[in-house]
Amino acid sequence: MAERIAIVGVGQTHHKSKRADVTTAELIAEAVERCLEDAGMQMKDIDHLVGGSFEVADGYHCPDKWIIPELGAVGKSGLEMQNVGTTGGVVAVAGFNLAATGLFDAVLCFAWQKMDEAAGAFGRGGGGANEYWTGQFPMSPITNFARRTYAYMDRSGCTEEHIAMVRVKQDQCAMKNPYAQLRLGLTVEKVMQDVLLAWPIRRLHMCPTTAGAAAFIVCPEAKAKKVTNKPLWVEDWFTCHQGGALTMAEDPTASTLRYACDVVYKRCGITNPKKEIQAWEVYEPASPAELRWIEEVGICEDYTAWKLFEQGKVGIDKEIPFNPSGGVTATNPIGATPVVRLVEAALQVRGDAGEHQVPGTINRALATGYGGQGENVIMLLRKSL
Amino acid sequence: MTAEQKEEKKEEFIQFRYPRQVTYHHALGYQSKFANGLKQCKILATKCPVCGRCTIPPRIVCPFHHVKQTEWVDQGQRGRLISAFKINFPMFNSRTGELQNWENPIIAVELEGGARMDGWCAETDPEKLKTGMLMEAVWRPEEERRGRADDILYWKPVEE
Repeated sequence: MAERIAIVGVGQTHHKSKRADVTTAELIAEAVERCLEDAGMQMKDIDHLVGGSFEVADGYHCPDKWIIPELGAVGKSGLEMQNVGTTGGVVAVAGFNLAATGLFDAVLCFAWQKMDEAAGAFGRGGGGANEYWTGQFPMSPITNFARRTYAYMDRSGCTEEHIAMVRVKQDQCAMKNPYAQLRLGLTVEKVMQDVLLAWPIRRLHMCPTTAGAAAFIVCPEAKAKKVTNKPLWVEDWFTCHQGGALTMAEDPTASTLRYACDVVYKRCGITNPKKEIQAWEVYEPASPAELRWIEEVGICEDYTAWKLFEQGKVGIDKEIPFNPSGGVTATNPIGATPVVRLVEAALQVRGDAGEHQVPGTINRALATGYGGQGENVIMLLRKSL
Repeated sequence: MTAEQKEEKKEEFIQFRYPRQVTYHHALGYQSKFANGLKQCKILATKCPVCGRCTIPPRIVCPFHHVKQTEWVDQGQRGRLISAFKINFPMFNSRTGELQNWENPIIAVELEGGARMDGWCAETDPEKLKTGMLMEAVWRPEEERRGRADDILYWKPVEE
């Protein structure tokens, strides 16, 4: 029987495009120290670490070898996880699994990316499905989302203006989040005039490159209740690999998000996600992805999410509080991005998100990680069980 | 020192440049038959004995049914256009540094044998591309074929 588990502390860096003032380990330490402080714990209280980044975008191989000592954690049990954009998601899932065994009292999970050190290296993440074949085409997250978005527009009636509205909504949220990297004061006109990368994707539609890290501590129930009187329950989690099982040539909309959500909703007895989940932090690598993801997580019918933006129904204090942090188009330390989603979802449930706090009681928040050509990691948090 | 103080500290910080070149020789394994087919202007796909799905690139096992795919099906030289997109900037393979063909749109084609695959399109104006158009493979000359995706130079629309 698995232990019930709870998050007892979270931390993240102020995400920036460039951090030449710190090493990768020092950057991670910023998030880890904030996390320990948030939990009221010290490194001596931690008995297992799980860390990860998208190694290609860092240029460091087996980084745990030197990073764990630099965090002041020599001698502790540790693992490194790796899965492109979902790296932070598998870091979290590994941490949840370990805490749920009851073998460890406090598992410190951290993920990072210092993308200022290898400009452009992340762009090849999309080739991972089959290095021999897809690696030969000029494909990248940009073209993946051009293809997805073209198919979405073709099937839905959504226009370029609607996609620009999504980007403006994301920016309006990010403007209220002091940790977000891009806070630009965008308008629909400004987005529509931006450089076209691969129609209909413009530069502003794509996630930026970010130097940042995020961390959290997860404990089994008994320990969590000793550490805090406000344990943040991890109700369920699921990681779902697709890895090009369906290539984008076969289905340009291939995604596992709906499948993964359905698994989690069924296990948790959720029948009306729009009502039963009050805040969402869903990994959108490009602004138009948010449209399809809103549908796949079960908030609205297929190919209708663009209408919600036309009607102004999506935002921090709106009917659908989707990505109140500003999301991934504002901040993307790629390997850490799913942990940033989790940290932001945790802040929402605790009521500690500050200016971008969703009003009302947040009993449940859903965070996800996305990577490659359709992998998804689902992390469902709950205020009380 | 707190994290906040650390972020604010002023110092002349040094970065060290670390270029590295490694040439990998990845085994193609079961896919070798597909790559060798390309050299002979053949497009071969594996077929799942359970669901009948033909896949490119080929796989030794069906990802959905966990059975060995021993049947190879010649997919023919023609197919229908399923989707297309055009990149507006030169793209390099960021692992190899090679400039990739970004000027021809990338299309997906459903072949006569049922498999779907990516390729480049001879028609560079994406406005002229319509779903369902019949396309035909145009191959590189024999001496230039290497068992790679661009052995098919591009797909050209054909009159019906």
